[in-house]
Amino acid sequence: MKQQVMRDAFWDRIYELAKKDKDIVIVSADFGAPSLDKFRRDFPLQYINTGISEQNAILLAAGLALEGKKPIAYAITQFITLRCFEQIRIYPCGMNLPVTIAGVGAGACYWESGATHHCTEQLSVMRTLPNLDIINCSSQRMASEAADYAVQKKGPTYIQLDREMISGIHLEMIAFEKGFQRIGERAVNAVIATGNMVKEAMDLQKETSAEFEILDLYKFPVDQELLLKELDGVERIITLEENTREGGMGSYVLEILSDNHVNIPVLRIGMNTCQGYNPSYAYGGREGIREAYGIGRSLIREKINRFLV
Amino acid sequence: MEEILKLKQKAKELREQVVYMTTKAGTGHVTSSFSCAEIMTALYYGDLLRFRPEEPQWKERDYFILSKGHANPILYSILADLGFFEKEELGRFCEKGGKLGVLLRGDIPGAEITSGSLGCGPGIAAGIAQGLRIDNRKNKVVCLLGDAECREGAVWEAAMFAGYRKLNNLTVIVDRNDLGATHFVEQEAGVEPFDDKWKAFGFEVRHINGHDFRQILEALKDFRDDSNEKPLAIIADTVKGKGVSFIENQPFMHGVAIKQSDLERGIAEIREGKIG
Repeated sequence: MKQQVMRDAFWDRIYELAKKDKDIVIVSADFGAPSLDKFRRDFPLQYINTGISEQNAILLAAGLALEGKKPIAYAITQFITLRCFEQIRIYPCGMNLPVTIAGVGAGACYWESGATHHCTEQLSVMRTLPNLDIINCSSQRMASEAADYAVQKKGPTYIQLDREMISGIHLEMIAFEKGFQRIGERAVNAVIATGNMVKEAMDLQKETSAEFEILDLYKFPVDQELLLKELDGVERIITLEENTREGGMGSYVLEILSDNHVNIPVLRIGMNTCQGYNPSYAYGGREGIREAYGIGRSLIREKINRFLV
Repeated sequence: MEEILKLKQKAKELREQVVYMTTKAGTGHVTSSFSCAEIMTALYYGDLLRFRPEEPQWKERDYFILSKGHANPILYSILADLGFFEKEELGRFCEKGGKLGVLLRGDIPGAEITSGSLGCGPGIAAGIAQGLRIDNRKNKVVCLLGDAECREGAVWEAAMFAGYRKLNNLTVIVDRNDLGATHFVEQEAGVEPFDDKWKAFGFEVRHINGHDFRQILEALKDFRDDSNEKPLAIIADTVKGKGVSFIENQPFMHGVAIKQSDLERGIAEIREGKIG
């Protein structure tokens, strides 16, 4: 597999699918990628640029789905989710339409663009929507296979793609129905990470003496029964996400544990937004912004050590 | 002439039906239904839209998108009358166990979309129209929206899309009753110059009296013509609550049913009325 950013891995796979499936239609809100150019060239009928109008992109996608198409609405994550949240809520979700929403951007990956482009709440907000599957991609391979999953699904899917190149994580087929995967060996503690933070957890594992297994929770909703089975015997859990702590993946894990009367101590690590969006204005790269939000590498390592060692 | 008389008669029956179902339920958007009663009657009984009540998902049907979804009592009355579903369902409007409510549900036969949050219809209609064009299908899409709804930005995002792409299989009809939920449109949050706006966005614009069947039929006579170069926008001047004097043009009658004590008076006015 050649090394690619998630976006290109996703579009290359969609391109292969769209060759055979003429119902696949891309609805881009003026957002491009070199990997999209071949759609313009080879399948002009399957490529629609709506211009900068995300609400309309979702509504058009809903209309296309009602006419029998399998549309993929595409833009920078922030704008194709929260700007058009109500349209997503009523149409793809409320009517359970086969609309795929693909967003590029996760956490502070558009570090230079500021708070408007940082995905601080996406997981918290989007996971409240019924019928919607969220796939928070943690690797290039996942982005590629998410294309297949979303296109064959009868209802809506939201795929969050990181801007960075992350490969070498998932070496086997992704089990989307299951929604999570253990990476490496079992251990007495678990770090449940999502998206870009999975790679971070793997790197941290090498840097600390703390013993933990890593679970990549990539799909919301996850198969709760299997997750609880996986956590059976685990003594402590840390959740790790580049998303606000409010209502994010960590909260989701707490809900699952609480609803099932499972009592395991949990430490949630996520963006701390008590200073508003001020941390988004920390210049000097993604790591600097993460530090400002309380999820810099050394801060996470410290928290892990304190909680697990 | 005979056809117009039939349409007038049908519009009266439909208005009556709207009053009965909403007064019984004690709720429902009567005035919004009445302003578009002639438009809706013409679409469904004037040989304009193609549909099959026994097969709502018929592949060759035209798509009617009610963007002003709360005006559904008139749509429900039409769909029941045509046999899309049982007439008895109208008597259970907003009642426990009933299927019909103030929010139009996409899975009601003939409804096409869930509708009640304004400004969404044009975008969906444009998406359907674009899909039909990709598939080279000849079905048409007609979207009815309110004038106050045109304050929603999404309406103009869709208009820009349809105009730019010359979606000639799309017709937008605006029920220009000049009333929002509580205010007169042009007094507080106007949309004028309205015709010019639609023209500027790339539509062929026709301005009519939305209660005059002749004008409605004339404005729509070529809407399925494939040689049209642009999407069509029909601005239909109407009166909210038209047909019952004491609810006509009353800002605070929005979303309100006629009281049981006024029912007889209202029905009598509808029967005597000379609209159309």
